[in-house]
Amino acid sequence: MGNLGTPDTGVLLEHLFRLQSGRMVAHLTRLLGPAHLELAEETVQEAMLRALQTWPYHGVPENAGAWLFKVAHNIAIDAVRRNRTLGEKTDAMVAELSQSAAAPHDPYLEDQLRDDELRMIFMCCHTEIPRDARVALSLKTVGGFGVREIARAFLADEAAIAQRLVRAKRQIRERRLTLDMPRGAELKGRLDSVLEVVYFMFNEGYAAHAGEELIRQDLCLEALRLGRLVAASSIVTPRADALVALMALEAARLPARVDESGDLILLEHQDRSRWDEGLIALGFHHFERSMAGEEVSEYHVQAAIASTHARAADPQSRDWPMILELYDQLLEMNGSPVVALNRAVAVAKVHGPAEGLAALDPVANDPKLRGYYLLLAVRGHLLLELGRRAEAAASFRAALERPCSEPERRFLRRKLEACEGL
Amino acid sequence: MPQFMLLLYDDPAGFQRLSPEEMQMAMEKYMAWTKKPFTKDAHRLGEDLGRVMRSAGGQIRTTDGPYSETKEILGGYYTIEAANYDEAVKLAMDHPTLEHGGTIEVRHVWGT
Repeated sequence: MGNLGTPDTGVLLEHLFRLQSGRMVAHLTRLLGPAHLELAEETVQEAMLRALQTWPYHGVPENAGAWLFKVAHNIAIDAVRRNRTLGEKTDAMVAELSQSAAAPHDPYLEDQLRDDELRMIFMCCHTEIPRDARVALSLKTVGGFGVREIARAFLADEAAIAQRLVRAKRQIRERRLTLDMPRGAELKGRLDSVLEVVYFMFNEGYAAHAGEELIRQDLCLEALRLGRLVAASSIVTPRADALVALMALEAARLPARVDESGDLILLEHQDRSRWDEGLIALGFHHFERSMAGEEVSEYHVQAAIASTHARAADPQSRDWPMILELYDQLLEMNGSPVVALNRAVAVAKVHGPAEGLAALDPVANDPKLRGYYLLLAVRGHLLLELGRRAEAAASFRAALERPCSEPERRFLRRKLEACEGL
Repeated sequence: MPQFMLLLYDDPAGFQRLSPEEMQMAMEKYMAWTKKPFTKDAHRLGEDLGRVMRSAGGQIRTTDGPYSETKEILGGYYTIEAANYDEAVKLAMDHPTLEHGGTIEVRHVWGT
């Protein structure tokens, strides 16, 4: 008989490896120095590989995270000794790593790791790092995502993402970026960068445009996790709370957004009982917190819109006039055509489909929306409500020619049938 | 019930490029495999290359190796119960080793 008698003393929590990876890469990078980020990544990869090779035969250790932590540290120690990468600092580094390796049961470790992750994401969003690399770098290091996963999320070429990461890490080395938290004026700019990256991550996850997946939940939840990390830090920023509120309230709707066959359900038809109550509560909590101080950022207004939607007990009692007011405010702050589009939907709800169509006109030919199926879909929807079937059908047909996900495609086809079939 | 050995040859590069999430999924598959009702035994071999002993000209020579050239390394072995080769192969079909670029050699244990 082999070693099958060993029972599983631990259970593998969902995403354990990915989450632990993020924490450990952040922690080891702080110890080794940002110039050795790649070494930190390699040691974490190696530690997980060892787990893969031994846990199936010996059982999952009681504290899986601590096991990975310790093993990663030992691998780092070996690497540092072997390569003498740190020259005369080698002995000091080995000592520091050894000390840290003994820490897994330190009650302050949890706080330390959160702090390390925060520093890491702030470094990833440094202005010296090319903008298009910040999200990828954050997802790779703190998020624990693989290059292939990141490429899939952003419909990018795997090699292109890999290149971005290489360049970003080179910038870190050449510009000698540190994991020190910025202060004063620099902090505000960096924080804006971090929030922008987190928000971008969330949006990509929320409205995935690839194939069958309407929702990239992992991406949404990671963005939410990172947002909460920032909001919980000592950097007091109401707009971080507003962003968390916005993300939590939108993420709460994810379970209700598609039905059993994976088809898209519009907001007004969603079964509210399927919204995640925990996330709603989290959203409202952070919305409250975001009210502190004088600041009214775009995140605040977006959060207010999400909050208004969430407060409605049923689709009929949704406060559309309030939502329209908020969109008016948002449009003034951010004149983007997407905001104008969303506002037009609210206009239609308050003043009827004809007014809604009129509100669409200014952006109907905006080049930024040219590839965006939603503009044509909304247009088609409003035209259908006005009984202008032929024009509505033309709009839906045009929408189908734009890139969109499978569930969205199915939705549009049904709308098209509604125009033609009756 | 006859027994079959599954000799698992891993491609070391096969796992290197996996993301943490993918590694966890592979792990869960490995764990599930060691617990299957037909799996009598599961062993993992050490990371080292081991030794090779050969008789040459009346002398026994021992060297390191044997894997200097080959890509695949015998990483582990299972003993499973199956009615015949076809069934053994069918059972081994979803082993994660195959998914990650490795090879499985299936051999009947004589006398079982």
